Amino acid sequence: MINSTFMPTHRAEMPDEPPPILGSWSRIYVLVLVYLALLIALSYGFTRYFS
Amino acid sequence: MRPLDWVVLSGTLAFIVLYGLYKGRGSNTISKYLLAGKTMPWYAMALSIMATQASAITFISTTGQGYVDGMRFVQFYFGLPIAMIVISSTSVRLFHRANVYTAYEYLEKRFDAKTRTLASIVFLMQRGLSVGVSLYAPAIVLSVILGWPDRLTTLGMGVLITIYTVTGGIKAVTWTDVQQMLIIFAGLFVAFFMIIHLLPPGISFTDAVYLAGAIGKLKAVDAKFDLANRYNLWSGLIGGTFLALSYFGCDQSQVQRYLTGKSIAQSKLSLLFTAMAKIPMQFFILFVGAMVFVFFIFVRPPLLFQPIAMRDLESSQVQPRYAPISAQFDRAFDERREAALGLVDARRAHDGGRRAQWLGQYRQAQARINQARAEGAGVVQQIHGEKEFNDTNYIFLSFVTRYLPAGVVGLVIAVIFAAAMSSSSGEVNSLATVTVIDIYRRHIRQDAPDRHYLWASRVSTAFWAAYAVFFAQYAKNLGSLVEAVNVVGSLFYGTLLGVFVLAFAFRRVTGTAAFIGMLAGESAILATALFTRITFLWFNVIGCAVVIVTGLLISWLRPVRQPVAA
Repeated sequence: MINSTFMPTHRAEMPDEPPPILGSWSRIYVLVLVYLALLIALSYGFTRYFS
Repeated sequence: MRPLDWVVLSGTLAFIVLYGLYKGRGSNTISKYLLAGKTMPWYAMALSIMATQASAITFISTTGQGYVDGMRFVQFYFGLPIAMIVISSTSVRLFHRANVYTAYEYLEKRFDAKTRTLASIVFLMQRGLSVGVSLYAPAIVLSVILGWPDRLTTLGMGVLITIYTVTGGIKAVTWTDVQQMLIIFAGLFVAFFMIIHLLPPGISFTDAVYLAGAIGKLKAVDAKFDLANRYNLWSGLIGGTFLALSYFGCDQSQVQRYLTGKSIAQSKLSLLFTAMAKIPMQFFILFVGAMVFVFFIFVRPPLLFQPIAMRDLESSQVQPRYAPISAQFDRAFDERREAALGLVDARRAHDGGRRAQWLGQYRQAQARINQARAEGAGVVQQIHGEKEFNDTNYIFLSFVTRYLPAGVVGLVIAVIFAAAMSSSSGEVNSLATVTVIDIYRRHIRQDAPDRHYLWASRVSTAFWAAYAVFFAQYAKNLGSLVEAVNVVGSLFYGTLLGVFVLAFAFRRVTGTAAFIGMLAGESAILATALFTRITFLWFNVIGCAVVIVTGLLISWLRPVRQPVAA
């Protein structure tokens, strides 16, 4: 039996409020990805510079 | 340990326990005891998530790894922010809205009871194996470095954890985690500044960083794809993402942290803060290890960092074999120091030719040091009849106890205790929750009053704490346990991740298909571990993929008719 009540489309009482900054969660996720890319680039630059 | 160290250590531990008891007041319902009544702010959850993950042995090992292997271990964490985004955008919302105590409870709401029970048992096996090691591993290092009996250390930590975890539940665990994480940060910064302060006159911080880079300790990123290389950019990004998805998305010891959030947004913020803080934190810990290495270029280190091994080598029976090794080590150390000073001078003079010449001499001296250490380790292995010798975990504490001033040593030992207690208390708390919610309440006693389950949770917490101490007492008889537990952990995570992906992403998958998928995934991981040379980071990817493909295939072969909407 498929319990579709608990599939991702399920809507319940608990609201998913917007984040305190940037207006939407999608923008926050992009920010985290950009931050990760920056950290990797910095780590790569760090490796190249000091070796 | 000097009197001031004892004051700092005992004061810190007493503060942690008393603070836990204070903050855990009022945990008088099952919801408050296991989920803090869903009142936690994001910063408390974030620090608790980080504290639960940062076990003491991770802290001790990571500095040692920075010393031995440089910075490349940082790549292990590159997948973590990606995983946190995936979890924030999927499971956080679903778990909160399903109003569950455990991640596995959700599986019954989505699939069926047998899938939930299998996932719960997989978690209890995997986490049950590691909880004892979380206590034992730092205890054995502390006992060797400080001469304390390891049984006393594990028992002491176990009793302290039991006091505040049994009394205050997850609220006490979370708030003590916050304190413990702040102590860990403070200890790390103090240790780092002391290392820089203790560099010999004439060697600046810039010189130290230059030296660490020149000798290959600052290689943080390796972009070459290689399945057999444990740490490179791709294993970190792909394997690390799957590992972090499994750990933070499917392991109750982490899921329970963010289920305590006062809102979905607060839980998401806690995960995203961890995503942003974890890589810099690990980078810093590894950098501390690299700086300890530079310190020991100028100050003669022991041949081996494990004190008992050194006592064995210096004993009268072994002395004739040890003396020439020690002499070779001393000569190589002097040559290495001279080459390092030459490198620093060449840098200041911007003389590329001399730099290359000194670097060549440095490498030759380092090779002779490595050879002397290997010969010393070989003698120790012969004495004890062991196949392996590894002193990585003793490097940082050896430095701390020999060179740091009174008070700072006590602080760093307190950091080790705090890290061990934070991860163990989180594990004990989550094991108790799964035992009561997914096993006891689901299969043994379903309709008891709230007070009964609260009582059962306290008993279960005390049981798992006692189990952790008991398991830790006998862990040393099980050989290379830390390595074994790491491998055992990776044997289960892919399966758990696969079943949650099926639950979240594939509407048509049935409970039986998910259950069979889990069995198939577990078989695939075991086969990979036993019959291939693929490293453990990839087990999660393989296990997860097999669970998903099998689950989809069975659902396709045995479709279930959708209930007709009214």
